[in-house]
Amino acid sequence: MTSRRGFLKAGGLALFGIGMGGVPGFLADAVAGIKQPGLFERRKILVCIFQRGAMDGLMAVTPFTDEYLRTARPSLFMSAAKTSANKPLIDLDGRFGLHPSMGSFEQVFREKRMGIVHGIGSPNNTRSHFDAQDYMESGTPFKKGTESGWLNRAVGLLGHDGVTPLRGVSLTSSLPRSFYGDNPAVAISNLQDFNIQMRGNVNGANMAAKSFEDLYDQTSSGLLKETGKESFEAIKMLQKTDVKNYKPTNGVIYPNSALGNSLKQIAQLIKMNVGMEVAFAESGGWDTHFNQGRETGIFARNVNDLSESIMAFWTDIDTLQDDVTVMTMTEFGRTVKQNGTGGTDHGRASCNFILGNGVKGGLVHGIVNPLAIENLEDGRDLAVTTDFRAVFSEVADKHLRINNDKVLFPDWSGSKIGVMS
Amino acid sequence: MKTSIKILFSLVFVLFFITLCSFFQKESVTVKLKFPYKQAGLSERQAAEHMLSRFTYGPKAGDVDRVLKIGLEKWFIQQLEGSLQDEELDKMLAQFDDINLSNTDVENKYPRSARVLRMAIKDGAIDKDSVNKGNQAAYKKQIKEYMEMNGLKPQQELYRQFINQKILRAAYTNNQLRELLTDFWFNHFNVSLTKNQCASFVPAFERDVIRPNVTGKFNDLLLATAKSPAMLIYLDNFSSSGQPAAVRNDSVQTKGGNKNRKAQVKKKQGGLNENYAREVMELHTLGVDGGYDQNDVTQAARVLTGWTIAPMGEDGYGAGMKKLMDNVGETNLEKRGFVHQGDFLFVPTRHDNGEKTVLGKRFSANGGYEEGVTLLTMLAHHPSTAKFISKKIATKFVSDQPSPRLIDRMAKTFIKTDGDIKQVMIIMVSSPEFWKVDALREKTKSPFELAISAVRSLDAQITQPYQLFSWINKMGQKMYYYQAPTGFPDRGQYWINTGALLNRMNFGLALASQRIPGIKVDLAALNNNHEPESAEAALTTYSKIIMPERNLDATIKRLKPMLKDPDLNKKVEIAAEKNTPVASNIDNTEVMGGVKKGRITKKEDVKNSELAQVVGVILGSPEFQRK
Repeated sequence: MTSRRGFLKAGGLALFGIGMGGVPGFLADAVAGIKQPGLFERRKILVCIFQRGAMDGLMAVTPFTDEYLRTARPSLFMSAAKTSANKPLIDLDGRFGLHPSMGSFEQVFREKRMGIVHGIGSPNNTRSHFDAQDYMESGTPFKKGTESGWLNRAVGLLGHDGVTPLRGVSLTSSLPRSFYGDNPAVAISNLQDFNIQMRGNVNGANMAAKSFEDLYDQTSSGLLKETGKESFEAIKMLQKTDVKNYKPTNGVIYPNSALGNSLKQIAQLIKMNVGMEVAFAESGGWDTHFNQGRETGIFARNVNDLSESIMAFWTDIDTLQDDVTVMTMTEFGRTVKQNGTGGTDHGRASCNFILGNGVKGGLVHGIVNPLAIENLEDGRDLAVTTDFRAVFSEVADKHLRINNDKVLFPDWSGSKIGVMS
Repeated sequence: MKTSIKILFSLVFVLFFITLCSFFQKESVTVKLKFPYKQAGLSERQAAEHMLSRFTYGPKAGDVDRVLKIGLEKWFIQQLEGSLQDEELDKMLAQFDDINLSNTDVENKYPRSARVLRMAIKDGAIDKDSVNKGNQAAYKKQIKEYMEMNGLKPQQELYRQFINQKILRAAYTNNQLRELLTDFWFNHFNVSLTKNQCASFVPAFERDVIRPNVTGKFNDLLLATAKSPAMLIYLDNFSSSGQPAAVRNDSVQTKGGNKNRKAQVKKKQGGLNENYAREVMELHTLGVDGGYDQNDVTQAARVLTGWTIAPMGEDGYGAGMKKLMDNVGETNLEKRGFVHQGDFLFVPTRHDNGEKTVLGKRFSANGGYEEGVTLLTMLAHHPSTAKFISKKIATKFVSDQPSPRLIDRMAKTFIKTDGDIKQVMIIMVSSPEFWKVDALREKTKSPFELAISAVRSLDAQITQPYQLFSWINKMGQKMYYYQAPTGFPDRGQYWINTGALLNRMNFGLALASQRIPGIKVDLAALNNNHEPESAEAALTTYSKIIMPERNLDATIKRLKPMLKDPDLNKKVEIAAEKNTPVASNIDNTEVMGGVKKGRITKKEDVKNSELAQVVGVILGSPEFQRK
């Protein structure tokens, strides 16, 4: 607790008061423009995206040579054949095809910077969204009472205590299960709100902020005192740049979606160099029981948003790409067979995407056996052949240099599958 | 002769003594109870304030005097009884149509959206091909019309009413401690609106399972939660079943082509589910170090197989069970070993009839429903439970780190009184640890407690409670949406973090300056419409109103320079011009009894805005975050 203080003054940021009142614009711009060195030694950053609702991995990355799948999904199956009247799948390796609405992923996949894991999922075969998300986020698939989430434990294992209150940031309105726990993690739905607010009353807000800062500075409660300091330091850090009029690098335009906005703000935090090491964002609408569509429709829109948002983010962080790995996750996959309403029901394995310069990219990792009935889990679902913890722990290990699996994923002792180089 | 008189005399004496004793037993609680605050060096007023801080959602103006008038001990017993009249609150709650619905009514009126869709398609109101296709707005409208036509409501409305009533209760009930204990026990037996399947049963869970039992016997509370639909679904016990033979029996009962296939698939996923058995020991009773192992968990799960939900609603939950029960026949249920109590159903064909051993206790074969009751009763009375529960209560009401001696004393009372929560609470407050100077203000208000205490201290009128819920969420406590069965951690370190603390400050400013819609504050009335002579006077006066009996010298000293800023008036004036909370000021003047009716001058705006800012800073100050 006591050691958290001090970086601000050392970093010279104490100059900048609340509201940037007396700081000349050119100076502020200059500081904002400096990429290196910033407040902190640059550290690796992991960005996790949870696709809530269970993404149909078989439609996102289709084993298009599988005849069983073609039969099981008469109105959902897509082919990679260029002759097809419809937009074909993007053939990745002769066996798997990327949904045509995810075209923006193709380049990074070909450049071997994106890897895909297929057949990923939880060893617990629950098909309840709630339970499966809970297990994936706590990282303990057979234990509900685990207090902390795996990303919170990751923040703890990074061991960089005493630096910044913004080490773990979730771009959500409340803290997700992944971030539950004792290590500092903040939920911020909008960076602009991270300030003392008196709508339209700048002077009032500045005065109130000054009063609060004073009051918290002198309080006898150690907890309130320390956190108070951190809060005001965080405010000052975030005010280094003009959050509201943010201009992404390279003229990038983010999709105007929840995920797009979250990733845009994560990019801002990365560029501001506020010491963030783990970031979290969400994407919704994956529970496609009804008419999930094919080349167009709800699923196509979802994967388009996912891929466009991620690629906008990737282009935006530009020279900082070496520091960042992006990983998607979803609670389970969907039934091999389409259901009676043009959709798919809750299944088992799905796939996930990992993007970064340290990824063993250009490959569809994992094992997808031919979809014959005897290979399906419970006779109906794509079998889970890779425990999600094998992938998450490898990414944490290789990218963030966290290698204490006993703490990160207690009760797990499997081997990693080589998704990182 | 002499001896018989002696006997008679001693008999009379003994009888008298017994009567006397029983009299004292009854009365001792109220008459003999004496809280040891003086020994801790506290005045009676300070002691009253401390009790108000810990056993209410924060004192309202005048509360300290009211408690003194009743007497500290008597007031506490009154709060434990929790049966004071609540006429005004009841009037406010009457606006919520559906907060008293039974689970069955909820199932019928508030079906989950997937079920609405199924129904609409079945009734031909929606073409299944139109879902997720084409015009989404038109589709949404269709669904909405279908629901309205059939008297159905979206579940969000149920949760909104539920949350609204909770906020009003906390703010206005005279039985403050009962409501605080309702939070405490709900959080102890946490269920969550994040789990769709159980969400619509959560309101009844709090209303029927938690609230009536908060000061009773722990065993009753435990059993009631174990049998409630919300808990049965939240921790999956409703689907837990025993030996495969019984399972196969079930699926035969389910007839009909497509459904049968579905049922069989479901069966494959069925079987034993250990979730509830594990958490009931780890989180509800023994505690994680309470002396059980994985084998106990599995065995306990077997004991609790067949505990599930009775059919409710038409085509609602437990439809499968309904067929099963119809086949058996209502009159034969008991004979066949079924137990049907309200929403709870014990299904013998899903129960594991084998022998089990939990924590060294043998449960012989064919124990049926009763062995589950025996198990839970055993857990409720276990010494580890006494300790675990005592520690949790002490952590809630005394200190984030209660002393082992206090816990020990409470645990002894827990065991001696058969888990009587009331008695455990009394021994806690009778202990010197509760009154120790370093225990005062040691606890941090949860965001919910902070919001309600602010509202109470300003005597605010709440017309849109949900607005407070949004703020409470922002401050880090999305009430009823905590996903894990652990419930919200009850310690300051969890509540106080960077983002949350900032929002606490902003909440104070927003509330005091009338920027929270539907929460009306009349700062002038709070000071009997006496206008403070200066900003400095306002600071002192309002600090004392908002935080009675506290040493605020440091706070006031620290804030004074801000008020002495020579440019303050000008700054605030400019600010007020830009941002006049017009509507609220007009309201204020009307309340002032017509003295200052009419158009408000700019000067008043400035003053109000200044006062609001002072009050906002007080509410956001570190001192107000503590209780």
